[in-house]
Amino acid sequence: MNEAMWALKRICSERDGRLGLTFTIAILAFALLGPLVSPDPNVLDIKARFAAPGLAHLLGTDNLGRDLLARTSVGTRYALTLAVLIVVISSVIGSLIGIVAGIAGGWVDRAVTAVFDIVNAFPPLILAFALIALYGKGSATFVLLVTVVFIPQFGRMARARARTLRNLSFIEAERMLAVHPVTIVVRHYLPNVAGPIIVLASMNLPVVIAFEASLSFLGFGVQPPKSSLGTLIKDGFVSINQSWWPTVTAALVLAVATLGATLLGEALRRVIDPKSAGAR
Amino acid sequence: MTDAITVLGARLRFGETAALESVSVSIPQGACFGIVGESGSGKTTLMRAMLGLQRLDAGEIRILGTPLQQGRAALRQRARVVQPIFQDPAASLSPRSRIRTLMNEVGTVLKEPHAATHERLLVILKRLGLPDSVIDKYPHEISGGQARRVAIARALLVKPSILIADEPTAGLDVSVQGDLLNLLQDIRRAENITLVVISHNLAVVRLIAENAIVMRAGRVVEGGEVGPLFASPRQSYTRELFAAWPSLASNNKGR
Repeated sequence: MNEAMWALKRICSERDGRLGLTFTIAILAFALLGPLVSPDPNVLDIKARFAAPGLAHLLGTDNLGRDLLARTSVGTRYALTLAVLIVVISSVIGSLIGIVAGIAGGWVDRAVTAVFDIVNAFPPLILAFALIALYGKGSATFVLLVTVVFIPQFGRMARARARTLRNLSFIEAERMLAVHPVTIVVRHYLPNVAGPIIVLASMNLPVVIAFEASLSFLGFGVQPPKSSLGTLIKDGFVSINQSWWPTVTAALVLAVATLGATLLGEALRRVIDPKSAGAR
Repeated sequence: MTDAITVLGARLRFGETAALESVSVSIPQGACFGIVGESGSGKTTLMRAMLGLQRLDAGEIRILGTPLQQGRAALRQRARVVQPIFQDPAASLSPRSRIRTLMNEVGTVLKEPHAATHERLLVILKRLGLPDSVIDKYPHEISGGQARRVAIARALLVKPSILIADEPTAGLDVSVQGDLLNLLQDIRRAENITLVVISHNLAVVRLIAENAIVMRAGRVVEGGEVGPLFASPRQSYTRELFAAWPSLASNNKGR
């Protein structure tokens, strides 16, 4: 807890950190509180199609008269939930695989590294299309797909760190005491791998948010009537001649969400891992 | 009586470099044995091989007559017999664990209730001159000298019959060095522990060890009882090594 407070203070002590934190809190508040102050995002009000922002609809309406505040808020909530879910799953799985590979060495390490290389060899969007073709569209496919794409990133970092730790005296001392290997991994590897993994996770959050929006924009992500930032931008783009606000609103929220998460991630990296931040 | 550690024809190469070449050593039980040599002579590699942390290309190592084997069962058995004190003891304590956690791990390994481990630990800490409060600290919160004593305490908690100390006085000031060596000597005698001291510091080995070997480029140059070895070394390298140690050289001249 003390370490978390210390990190928070350090983040707040710099401009980019403050900005990232402010944007992130604003986006979180928007995602959580938006539906409370706006109507059902799927209620149609054909008479109010393309209504401009006003008292009845704070951010206006879309081509079917649906409230854009509600839809953007729900879309943001959806994007954040998916991003956190994916980053947590891929970081946990990737870290464990990486640590095991780093400790085991030999053919296990070579096999894991080869699989990571193969996954990394595919551009994420191409891999996405291939997996969607195999498993169909939907949230579950999306989570599976992006998790698969991100596991190697976390795995590589955890593997590299584990290989360094493996030869350090305190790990050798634990081995010499015949402490159970699982205890060594949980108590001594994980806490020492966690720092860079947390930084990488925070840096990947905006990437996942943008990736989800991209796939939804292309029609491979969230399916109607659910709303996502990507579908909102696409739907708004189709009718941009009649109203510009649906696209601009969703794009603005996407920009603030990704910018906030990026700035916060960078600030966190400077706090937790100043050496790598300085080496950029 | 079976030797505490027997090394027979140990050979290990790192690429073109011979880390160990035909090394054969017998360390008797209950003795204090010194291994000296310049940096890169293979002292620490030999220690790591004795601990099973480094596999040999050829040769055999026996601990209390039992050939050293890999595998978890063998490691568990070995852990109760031989314990190391690493060169940098602060680095041998996990940085994100409190010392209490590290000590409790020993209890878990020994299948001993934590309360019993704690009681034994308090006795050991008192003997080592460490305050009880040290157990609630993280390794970075204690001094280098305290870290060394904590590492010794952890090793002693296992109740080993062999302790291998790599450069036990490195980084300590002279007065603390003397205290620590006396402490190790007292513990060794009281617990009848075989103590292997690896050091480039000839004075340390001369002070504490009964027998010693001199290593150079992965080979044992010569060995024997410390008195005759230091008084009249047979090999030119040993003479050069001793001559390069100013205090010893002047002491010898004075005799």
